[in-house]
Amino acid sequence: MTDDPNNQPPASPSAGSPPAPAAPPASSAAAPPAPAAPAAPAAPKADPLKAKVESRAVDLLHERFADQVVEVLYHAGDALVRLRKDRFLEIARMLRDDQELRFDYLSNLTAVHWPQRPQPFEMVYHLFSITKRHRLTLKMDLGEGEEAPTASVIWPTANWHEREVFDLFGIRFSGHPDLTRILMTDEWVGHPLRKDYPLEGKPEDHLQYREVTTAQHVYTYEKSPIRGFGWKKEIEKTGVGKG
Amino acid sequence: MFRTEEMDINMGPQHPSTHGVLRLKLTLDGESITDMRPVIGYLHRGVEKLCEHRTFPMIEPLTDRLDYVAAISENLGYCGAVEKAMGVVVPPRAQYIRVILAELQRIASHLLWLGTHALDLGAMSVFFYTFRERELILDLFEAFCGARLTYNSMRIGGLLEDVPAGWLDRVRHFITIFPGREKEYEDLLTVNRIFVGRTKDVGVLAPQDAIALGVSGPSLRGSGVDYDVRRAQPYSSYEQFEFDVPLGRQGDTYDRYLVRMEEMRQSCRIIRQALDRLPEGEVRAKVPKYIKPPAGEVYHVVESPRGEQGFHIVTSGGEMPYRMRFRSPSFVNLQALPSMCKGQLVADVVAVIGSIDIVLGDVDR
Repeated sequence: MTDDPNNQPPASPSAGSPPAPAAPPASSAAAPPAPAAPAAPAAPKADPLKAKVESRAVDLLHERFADQVVEVLYHAGDALVRLRKDRFLEIARMLRDDQELRFDYLSNLTAVHWPQRPQPFEMVYHLFSITKRHRLTLKMDLGEGEEAPTASVIWPTANWHEREVFDLFGIRFSGHPDLTRILMTDEWVGHPLRKDYPLEGKPEDHLQYREVTTAQHVYTYEKSPIRGFGWKKEIEKTGVGKG
Repeated sequence: MFRTEEMDINMGPQHPSTHGVLRLKLTLDGESITDMRPVIGYLHRGVEKLCEHRTFPMIEPLTDRLDYVAAISENLGYCGAVEKAMGVVVPPRAQYIRVILAELQRIASHLLWLGTHALDLGAMSVFFYTFRERELILDLFEAFCGARLTYNSMRIGGLLEDVPAGWLDRVRHFITIFPGREKEYEDLLTVNRIFVGRTKDVGVLAPQDAIALGVSGPSLRGSGVDYDVRRAQPYSSYEQFEFDVPLGRQGDTYDRYLVRMEEMRQSCRIIRQALDRLPEGEVRAKVPKYIKPPAGEVYHVVESPRGEQGFHIVTSGGEMPYRMRFRSPSFVNLQALPSMCKGQLVADVVAVIGSIDIVLGDVDR
């Protein structure tokens, strides 16, 4: 499917070459959190989406916290830095207070669930500087049941964002002033945005997680009489992803 | 001797001034508020979860239902995020038409806000005036895409179709008459003693608090912080238009009112420039039949009428997003409500809720 020219983005010059994004760590679900260099070494022509962007913040992080930076990714003009958990708050405070960077605005905070990774949860912080007008994305990997340090001591806006992440993913934040559910009711069971949480039916109707090629990361119902949106049928028809 | 004690009281979830289902737990000392806790989630529909099970074109109608009084802004941001993930460049004509639609939507959304905000404060007649003009805009949208509220009007890569014949002239007619109409609202409110008394020095938000709490949009600019996504990080060719970013001085409810009034005038200015310089050509870039952005993740931000609307998409190379996150300005702005209301009177809460202009569909997603 990947070498079908119809599926290539039009802007990509490497239309006929083997799958363009050479081992992007975000796609390979089983990738360990510390892969090699971010740029594709063997690709003859670099994917414009993965082009490196100049970022003073990334340089400074390499300079001052070299041992804390796991990897740096570039995608669609954004710089993404994956950090270790140990000194996260110290780095965040530096990013906010440094006169050159001044990331005073936490634009967004969220999490992603990668059930097949050894560290299944990934925190994502989108920072912005109102005075300097630049962006930076921070990431941090968490194991199952591991607590993240709360960012609300540095950016108070993280308070509700973290409550939402706790509510929908079940990630706990150490030092959070008020870690309660925010969107679901207080007595709700389960955390809906986890990949093993059913799309329909009751939470106790457990679902089977399957990797399929036509429609990736789809859950099919084993017990529930409700079938999703025809994906199950599609899987039965093509036979892809069965068993 | 009288005995005094604090009293807990619920405001909402069914309360006309909350514009939806928002519940505020107030702790009162007499009439003044000592503590407030917003309780949200009554409209939670799990849109982010639904998005993980839909293909990219199927998600656009869902974005209409988030901020349902400014659906065009949501469409624009969502399509922009997917285009960014795919590296698609939208044709200039489509970008300009998108700007016209987004600015009309901003005016329509601000008109709805102005009418209901004034209604909350007891000025009944403003509502009739603003809805008269909002109706004109909705007619324009109806002529463009057939819908009046949930438009689903854009497509990944541009627009479905070019504008219908005569539509641009109708838009030009609207922006010609609108400044005069806005003068009528201003006559009713700006120097109205009751309105000024209810809004001046009420719900003050200091600029440093606003930034720390992540407030965005007119609520942030009312506090005097110069941050407008259209200016700071332009998208959809906003860098080609001349417009001012109005700023407040004190950060009170009255300043937020003035900022929004000026924004409507600036929107007219942008629309006029877009109409004058509208390029010819295609309205949709060539995109594959099956939208499959390469694996990776993007965060795309647009300026919706309520503030910074962010779209975070994690793609796995398939035809559905692996994770979709909507950073809604209403959700984040609502977080600042307690700090704006502490020490105020119960009646002022109504004014302050109106001035941060939240949409509960956007808060709860």
